[in-house]
Amino acid sequence: MSDETKVDLELDLKGLLCPLPMVKVSQNIGKVEVGGVIRAVATDPGAMADIPAWAKSTGNEVLQAEKVGGEFVFLVKRVK
Amino acid sequence: MDSTQLTTLTGVIDKKMNRQLKQYMDICARCAICKDACHQYVGTGDFKYLPARRAELIRQIYKKYFTKTGEFVPALYEARDPDDNLLDELYDSTYACTGCRRCMYYCPFSIDTAWILSVAKAILIAAGRGNEMLGQLADAALFKGDNVEMFKDVIVSGFKDIEVEVQEITGNPNAQVPVDKQGADILYVALAGAHSIRPAAVIFEEAGANWTISMFEAANYGFFDGDIEKARLITKRFIDEAKRLGVKEIVVPECGHAYRVLELFYEAWSKEKMPFKVSHILEKVDEYIKDGSITVEKGLLTGTVTYHDPCQIGRNGGIFEQPRDIVQSLTDNFVDLTPNREQQWCCGGGGGIVAMEEFTETRLDRGTQHTPRSGYRCTSGHRPRGRSDAAQGQEAHARIDEPRDREPQRGTLRGAPFASSPDSDAQAAAYRTRLGSTARGRASNHKRISQ
Amino acid sequence: METYLWITSVWGIYLTAVVFFGGMAWRIYQWATTPKSPIRLGMFPKPKTGAGRFSKMLTDTFIAPQSFKIEPTMWLFAFAFHIAALGAFVGHARLFREFPILPELLGEAGMNSFAAWSGSIAGIIMLVGVLYWIGRRTYGPFKNLSVPEDYLLLFLLLGVIAMGDHMRFVYGDIVHAATYREWFMSVMTFKPAFPAKLLESNVGISLGTHMLFTDLFLMYFPFSKLVHSIGAFSSNLVRSE
Repeated sequence: MSDETKVDLELDLKGLLCPLPMVKVSQNIGKVEVGGVIRAVATDPGAMADIPAWAKSTGNEVLQAEKVGGEFVFLVKRVK
Repeated sequence: MDSTQLTTLTGVIDKKMNRQLKQYMDICARCAICKDACHQYVGTGDFKYLPARRAELIRQIYKKYFTKTGEFVPALYEARDPDDNLLDELYDSTYACTGCRRCMYYCPFSIDTAWILSVAKAILIAAGRGNEMLGQLADAALFKGDNVEMFKDVIVSGFKDIEVEVQEITGNPNAQVPVDKQGADILYVALAGAHSIRPAAVIFEEAGANWTISMFEAANYGFFDGDIEKARLITKRFIDEAKRLGVKEIVVPECGHAYRVLELFYEAWSKEKMPFKVSHILEKVDEYIKDGSITVEKGLLTGTVTYHDPCQIGRNGGIFEQPRDIVQSLTDNFVDLTPNREQQWCCGGGGGIVAMEEFTETRLDRGTQHTPRSGYRCTSGHRPRGRSDAAQGQEAHARIDEPRDREPQRGTLRGAPFASSPDSDAQAAAYRTRLGSTARGRASNHKRISQ
Repeated sequence: METYLWITSVWGIYLTAVVFFGGMAWRIYQWATTPKSPIRLGMFPKPKTGAGRFSKMLTDTFIAPQSFKIEPTMWLFAFAFHIAALGAFVGHARLFREFPILPELLGEAGMNSFAAWSGSIAGIIMLVGVLYWIGRRTYGPFKNLSVPEDYLLLFLLLGVIAMGDHMRFVYGDIVHAATYREWFMSVMTFKPAFPAKLLESNVGISLGTHMLFTDLFLMYFPFSKLVHSIGAFSSNLVRSE
């Protein structure tokens, strides 16, 4: 499914420490249209809880949060 | 301005009013001695960052609505309404403040500007002008707290990954990062990132401590945002956890404000006595070294090593000597910076400013005062300005080169060659340092022998 | 001339006393009845004992060693000004009664010349201090921090000091403490009268204007930032809480 999702913005958050991955996603979500998707790759495991929690509390949607090797890949959809 | 809004905002001051605030409002002589105390004012020369000016904005509202003289002759005090103009400047001066309280240290009346700005934050939040990023971070933390079950699996799986690393580092295949361990002595409340869990886990493991890790992080963005109710609830998440597990002690990580919130604020906020001790990780490490729970190897750190007192655990938390003792157990080449201890400059990254993109310029444009003044070149946690290689910032420890010039260079502060960037990699390196090197020293020494 | 003196140096004093003491009492009452912050705002390192805290508070209030460290020039002017003001204040106690011991040691002429010297020095230091502050406020890079209150207070102080110095330097040899004491005690005992010697000389204008500025200064005092003179003690105590 994730392969088919159209990604509007790629964010390389590798090496950033929590909560910075979440901060960067939040700062960049305004750069895509409503309905648009950000693909973010982080290396800090804390992001696995942080980014979904951020999405829930701001009303956005995490389409995917997956561990791929040593990286964490997120697909975040801007809902509003 | 809108009278409902006005009532709301003055109501905030009324609600926050206490003796200290009233005195701070009444007695400031605007002598501006604080101007040289603030790294942001010294670094930028921007009037809005002058500590007395930051407080003056609140004073202008106070004079108009809380004093008779200001009500009748507002012009005398430049007293005014909290209108858009005032709130615009207040937003910048308040959220840029790192809360280091160095201005309070030098003030002849000990006026706590950071405390005044906590009222400013409450005003801004009431005006719908709180910092959006800090607000989101706080809300996310609260959401995690309210929905632990939803996140438990990913959090625990993150701990398990770290556990593998801990096993590798310690050489102990049974090493654990215990979660939800009933009857543990210590609850370690880390940050969300692995950088703050791994080194501490190694140390607790090596020390043979009966510990467990919290599901929550110590960082408190409610506190940074200035929403005290959220700040209390964010802290309450792991206070409740600690009570449930019956621990004797809560240990907080490097995060300075987390220590201060827990040790100095939480009991007043919650109006309850905490049934456990609060320690900072550096206190704990020092304790372990001194009682022999862990042993460290001297000499693994090369070059001259120093320690930069973090404001919240130093000047504002009272931990000065333990970290120095730790460093000195690792090296004979320890040198104190000038100034140091309670007079140390802010690193520039406090108060949640790292999370607020709009203040990046302010944060980096300040020049690092302690560096040129002490004549040392500090390479940890600081990014060389105007150079792209981060290599220097990634030194594994706070290495300082030989003094270039011991004379204070007040005139060159704005053109200081280094700007602090408590950012990403450099910060990670600094963190790894403080804890990791201790553990590595231990791991490569004691453990091998005991096996 | 006599009317001017009656307004500034008799009725003005009564009014000032009521406003000043009433205002200060009101200020202290307000502070005392506002609850303290439940959060300790102290900073480290802090003294462990109550006595240690108290003595640190006194040091911080009277010496302000931290302020000296960060801005020695400002500290020097401020310290000299406050000491001179204290000296002038103590000197004015001669309005109530002659100092004990000193006149016996120095003789009447010696006492007057001692007062002239010490008063002159204090007067000059205070004048220089006020001028320094006016300059600092007006030309410092942080001049925008100053509000009209700051200038009003400095203006009133300048008036008090300039006219005090005028009396000291111009009339110092003509009218001595005993004459002023006669007038001042008459006001204090609610039987106000001006001694003939005072009215004969032209010192009346200076005295009247000195008192005019003093009245205004002291009446505004409790409603200005100058309440730091009492507030600094408790705010500095909070530092070690």
